[in-house]
Amino acid sequence: MTAHPLLDRIPPRSAVLVEPRVRIAVLPGDESLVAEGDRIAPGDGILRRPRHPQVGEQSLRGRRVPAPGTRLAEDGSLAGDDRRASRFDGGGEVLYATPSGRLRAVVSRHHGTVESPIGGTVEAIDACLLTIHGEGSAFPAALAVGEPSSGPLVVAVAGPDDELHARGIDVRHAGAVLVAGSRVDIESLTRARAMGVRGVIAGGVIGADVVALRASIDRQEASVHPSPPFALVVLNGYGKRPIPRDAWEALAGAVGTVVGLAITPPLVAFPPDTLIRGGEPDRVRVVAGPLLGRTGRVVALAGLRRQAGGVYQDCARVAIDPVAAAEAVNPVDVPMADLERDG
Amino acid sequence: MTSGSHPFFTLDIGSASIGAALVARLDGRWRLLASSAAPVAVGIEPVLRHLAEAAAAADGTLLAGAGDWRGWARVESRTRPGARVVVAGPSGGAVEPFERAFRMDGWQATACVTPERSVALDAARALRDPDLDLVVVAAPGGLGGNDRDALRDVAALVGAMAGLRESLPVLVSGPGVVAMPGPPGERVVRSHGLADAVALAREAVPRGADGREGFIRSIVSIAAILDLHVEGVDIGLDAGTRVQAEPDGLLRRLVLADAGLIPPAALEDDRLLDSIAHWSTLADEAYAVRDRLRNLRVAPWRDAAGDGARVRLAAARAALERLEVAWDADGRNPSRGLDRSGEYGGQPEGPGAPDVVVASGGAFAGPPGPAVALALVDTMRRPGPVALALDHARILGPLGTLGDEHDRRRLLADLLDDVLVPLGSAVVVPGLKAGRMGSLRVIADGALTTLPLAPDGVQVVDLPPGLSATVELEAPDDLFVGIRARRVAFTLSGGLGGLLVDTRDIPLRLPDRPERRREYLDAWQLPLWTNANA
Repeated sequence: MTAHPLLDRIPPRSAVLVEPRVRIAVLPGDESLVAEGDRIAPGDGILRRPRHPQVGEQSLRGRRVPAPGTRLAEDGSLAGDDRRASRFDGGGEVLYATPSGRLRAVVSRHHGTVESPIGGTVEAIDACLLTIHGEGSAFPAALAVGEPSSGPLVVAVAGPDDELHARGIDVRHAGAVLVAGSRVDIESLTRARAMGVRGVIAGGVIGADVVALRASIDRQEASVHPSPPFALVVLNGYGKRPIPRDAWEALAGAVGTVVGLAITPPLVAFPPDTLIRGGEPDRVRVVAGPLLGRTGRVVALAGLRRQAGGVYQDCARVAIDPVAAAEAVNPVDVPMADLERDG
Repeated sequence: MTSGSHPFFTLDIGSASIGAALVARLDGRWRLLASSAAPVAVGIEPVLRHLAEAAAAADGTLLAGAGDWRGWARVESRTRPGARVVVAGPSGGAVEPFERAFRMDGWQATACVTPERSVALDAARALRDPDLDLVVVAAPGGLGGNDRDALRDVAALVGAMAGLRESLPVLVSGPGVVAMPGPPGERVVRSHGLADAVALAREAVPRGADGREGFIRSIVSIAAILDLHVEGVDIGLDAGTRVQAEPDGLLRRLVLADAGLIPPAALEDDRLLDSIAHWSTLADEAYAVRDRLRNLRVAPWRDAAGDGARVRLAAARAALERLEVAWDADGRNPSRGLDRSGEYGGQPEGPGAPDVVVASGGAFAGPPGPAVALALVDTMRRPGPVALALDHARILGPLGTLGDEHDRRRLLADLLDDVLVPLGSAVVVPGLKAGRMGSLRVIADGALTTLPLAPDGVQVVDLPPGLSATVELEAPDDLFVGIRARRVAFTLSGGLGGLLVDTRDIPLRLPDRPERRREYLDAWQLPLWTNANA
C-alpha cells in the first residue's frame, strides 16, 4: 500500500528495479566465457556464439560416445579421439549420437561474442540460460529488439517529447547509446546502426519499424562480416509516446556514463553510482487518452464516471500541471487505469 | 437490513487484470455485495480493501460483525499464459494429433520435431528454450522400418537435450518402444496414447488453481442448476476458453492460447493484426490501428474508453472468431464423433444450439453490455434463439476451483441472479431471400410490436431485463432456426441489449473493402452504442 491511500488503486509506474536480473538464452553451439560467481562489467564477453552454425555429422567409429554438450576443438576434433577419427568442419558442440552410430554436432568456422549489457555477477548458467545478477538499478521497458548492448549515454534530443531524426546521428555517436525522445523511425535506426551506435532508447516506436529493424538485424547476421551489437529499447509502447519525466531526468543525469540495454527482460540499466530519484508519492502521469504524457497531482477519488463509448470507469480527480504558465487547467477526472503513479 | 455473515472474497487473477468480488450470506442465502476490477499491477490488497469499503459505504451495519476484511476468506484462481510444449515424433502424421490436442487444451505448441520436417539445429533450439515446460514424444506402435528408425532418432535428440536440463519432463505417448538416454527415469512419463496424454501432461506440469478450469467447472454446474444447455466463453489476454454443458454434465471444452485477446505473436505479425482490425470500425490508417492493437497487448488495461472500447471489442470479436474456427475444426475431428454438418456454411451443429451463452473474461469488462451481446452474436453463430449473459464480477473462475461440486452448486444457485448480468436474447434466422420480407411480432407485457423481417440485418427490439416476451417469426419461405418452418414462436427473456433479431448469414460475411466493411459494422453496432459518445 502506498503512503497515500487515495493512490493505491492507481497502477504504479513500473518501479525502478534494484539489482536487476538479466537473462541471456544459451543457444546450441554457444560456449560460455564465464562461470557461476564471476564478476563481469558491461561489455564483457559472456558467450562465444557460432555464426552461421550448421549441424555436422560424423561416424562414431573410433570414438567413445561423447556426452551431449561436449565441446569440439577449433579443428573439429573431440578430446580423446584417435587419429583415425574424422573431424567436424569447425569447432562447436556435440548434440547427440544417433542410434545408427552417427554423431551430430553444431559446428561453425566463425564465432562472435555476446556481451553482457550490465555489470554484476553471473548467478547461474546451464545449457539453456545464463542469468546475471546486476549491480545498480534499471528502468523496465515495454519492449526491446536486437542484442544485449551497452555504451556511454548520449541524449540526442532536446526534450522527452522530441523525435530523433536520422540527420541528427553521425560518426561522433559511434559506440554510444542514444536517447531518442518520444519516437524513433526506421530511417534513424538504420543510420544509427550504420554509424556504429550501440543502442537507442525511445519512448515509443511504430510497430512497422520494429518489424523492419528485426529484418535488418537478421540480414546483418546472415552477412559475412559481424557488426557490433545493437539494441532498441522502448520505454512506453507503440506509437509516439513521451519518455516519462523521471526516466528523462535519470537519463539526462547519466549522460556520459555507460548504460546497459537488456532484451530479456527489456530494460535500461544504470551503474551503481547513478542517482535515480524516486517519484513523489502523490504525483501521477497520464498514460492514455487525450492528456497522454501530462503529469499532475491527485486531489480526490471521483468514483465511477461514464466515459466516451458508454464505458464506466473508476476515475481520479487530477490537477494537471500546466505546460505553460498561462495555461489554466482545472482538475479533470481521469480513469485510474489511464494513470500511473510515480511513488 | 439483516447483517451478513461468512463474507468471503473471490479473486480472478489474470495476466492483465484482477477481478474481485465480495460475497456474504444475507437472509439465509448467498449474495454478491460488491465487485471490482483493477490492473494486475495494482495488487490484490487495494482491490479487496475497496470492496470492503464499498460494502460498508452501502450499509455500515451489513458486515459490522464480520471482523476485519483482512481476515475474510479468499477463493482465488489464476490464469497464466499457456504452458509451452514441443511435440516430437517419427512423422507429421504421428505428431499432428498430439499438437492439435495440446493446442486445444490451452498449451502453446512452440515446435513440432520430426525428421522429415525439422532441421536438427532448429529442433535443438526449440528443445533448449529456457521457458519450455514439457516435451511430448509421440511413439505409435506398429511402425515400419523407416518410421521406427525416425522415432529412435528423434527420441535420441529429445533425450540428449532433455538430459542437459535439470527439470524438463518428457512425456512418451504410445506403445512404440523408445530408448531415451539422458533424462533420469523419474522425469519420463509414459502414457498409453493420445487419450490420456493431455491429462498426464497436466499432472506433469501442474497449473494450480487454474481459472480456466474453474470457469469450465462452473459452467457445468450452471447447466445442472438451470437444467439447460449452457455454453460458456471466456476471453482473457492469454487464452480463450469455450465450454458446452448440458444438465447431465460436460459436452465439450476448448482452451486455446491463440484465442487470447491479442496473442503475443500479433506483435510481430501484421497479418494477424489485420485480421483483428478487420472487425474495427475506426477509420485510422492501418499502421495506427495496428499500433493501438499492439498497445492493447502491452498494457491491456489502458485506453478502455471511447475508441479504445471499440478497438477492445474488435479484438474480442477476432478472438471469438479464432475460437469459433478452432471449435468447429475440433467438432469435425472424426475422433470426436461430432461430425454433423449443418445447413449453413458447413457449420457442424455439435450436440445442439445452447439455451444460454455465458460470457466472461477481461475482454468484456469495459464495453457496454448491449455491444458485448452483439459481439457474441456476430461470432458464435448458430441458428435459433439463445439467451446471453455476462459474468460481470468474474466469479465463475474462482468458484470453479472449489473442490466440492455440491458446495459450488449451492453457492451458484443463490448467486446466479447477482453474478450473471442478462445481456438479452438473440434469434439468429439466416437464409431469408432478398425481396421476400417476413414479419416479426413481439408480445411483451401485454403490448404487441410488429416489425418487418428483412434479410441480412440486425434489429434491436427493446426488451428490458426482467421481462419475457413471446417472439413470433413468419416468412413466405421456410425459416431455419434449428428447425425448418414458415412460422415459429419462442419465449425469450430481456436484458441490457434487449432482443436481437439477426437475419445475417452464417458465417457472417463482411465486405473486403475497408470503407464498406466499416459501414456495415457501424450500421449493425450503432443501435447498441447509442449515446455512447455522450
